[in-house]
Amino acid sequence: MIKAAGAVLILLAGTMIGFLQAARFAKRPRQLRELIHGLQRLETEIGYGYTPLPEAMRRTGAHMAEPAASIFRLTSDRLESPDAPAFEACWEETLAGCWPGTAMRKTELATLRRLGSTLGMSDREDQLKHLRLAQQQMQAEEDGARDDQARYEKLSRSLGILIAALVVILMV
Amino acid sequence: MLKLIAHLLPPELYERLRRLPDSVHAGLEEIRIREERPLEIVSLDKSGFLTEDGGWSSNPQQAFRPSGELCRKLLGRLTGHSLYAMEEELRKGYITVTGGHRVGLAGRTVLERGDVKAIRDIGGFNIRIAREAVGAADKLAQQLADAARRSIHSTLLIGPPRMGKTTMLRDLARIVSSGAWPDTAMAGWPGRRVAIVDERSEIAASVKGVPSFDVGPRTDVMDACPKAEGMMMMLRSMSPEVIMADEIGRPEDAAAVREAAHSGVAVVATAHASSLEEARGRPILRELLHDGAFSRCVILGRSRSGFEARVVALQHAAPTAREPTAARAAGEAGT
Repeated sequence: MIKAAGAVLILLAGTMIGFLQAARFAKRPRQLRELIHGLQRLETEIGYGYTPLPEAMRRTGAHMAEPAASIFRLTSDRLESPDAPAFEACWEETLAGCWPGTAMRKTELATLRRLGSTLGMSDREDQLKHLRLAQQQMQAEEDGARDDQARYEKLSRSLGILIAALVVILMV
Repeated sequence: MLKLIAHLLPPELYERLRRLPDSVHAGLEEIRIREERPLEIVSLDKSGFLTEDGGWSSNPQQAFRPSGELCRKLLGRLTGHSLYAMEEELRKGYITVTGGHRVGLAGRTVLERGDVKAIRDIGGFNIRIAREAVGAADKLAQQLADAARRSIHSTLLIGPPRMGKTTMLRDLARIVSSGAWPDTAMAGWPGRRVAIVDERSEIAASVKGVPSFDVGPRTDVMDACPKAEGMMMMLRSMSPEVIMADEIGRPEDAAAVREAAHSGVAVVATAHASSLEEARGRPILRELLHDGAFSRCVILGRSRSGFEARVVALQHAAPTAREPTAARAAGEAGT
């Protein structure tokens, strides 16, 4: 009886792990897309509106879905606080805080960090160049993420169940 | 005085500056921040350095040296973390912030076809604290009153830098525009429409088009506009009775001043020169002083007892084709 219950638990856990893994594969391209949209909006705000960064970040964040929205929103909050450090520090802090809650990886993080070291620090043309470069890199990541999704999403789901089943069989 | 600019400074710098002696605070004029070099404070026309523990010393060896990190923080605050939104200001080399304070910047310039496009790697800041001296020109205004026209004489204010030319100009604008002449003899004079062409945003210190200083209720300000062009624009569109501009000196400025004078508009302007003789030595100013564009010249200086202003009536002012009232006023000049 206990054995059967254990087997069911293992099966359930395995399935869960598989599904969670699959969900990560599905979420990553979506979040990347969202971030690219955010960067595009930021580009418009900076390039055509000359909007100062705190305001531009706030507006960008207001039109997006989580978790990308909070990256922009929290940075804006930090910038507007009375003892705000330089932009780069605010950005880094936000990224460090938000990143574990996203399905994105280190490569995207590196791209955003590089962007953070230049945002607000140069003239308009230069800003636009950096923003476009970041978008391109994100785009490449998104393409890769979609391939991964197609390849591994179902696989990791079935793999979860199968490994759980294997463990159960070995135990019995 | 420091409170006026508290919002600009990173907290750690503000805390340090707050500990300066009261006497330094009271006369605070400039805070000069240079990356990795002694932080200089100019107070009551005396220069000194901020020490590590917030004291005041004339010895640069003991001075506090702001780090690059601090400078970047400061720059972030001054520009709203957005250099790109300040391109025009960076081309000119200074930022005017709320309250009329002005921050001069030094760094490496970026050129485009030989013209300065921006400043990057900014490592030098000069925060000049603006003080609105309402009433500074009260005494002067009495001497410049034009009884015939119940307005102000066309006046050229001259003096070396930092002698209060712009302060005087600003206060004259307030007096003329509000009609608040400080003498009972002038009570009841109407306020005049004043147009200020504020090329360097120093007179009105406009932030987003709104003057930070009290320049009077009937005053229009054309901010950051080249003087000659601005004067003509104002003449055409804003029907001013008095036009004010800072630091005239180029031939086109002179043409615009003449144009205004001949259309019956009083012009009050400033120019760099330490004396009337020196002003006469500059061709453009000499012409303006002699051909009747101005009927008064004020020489500003600083003496031991404070600022001094000497008014000279220009005798040559009469003959040119100005309104008869102006000619009459010039005739009885001799204050």
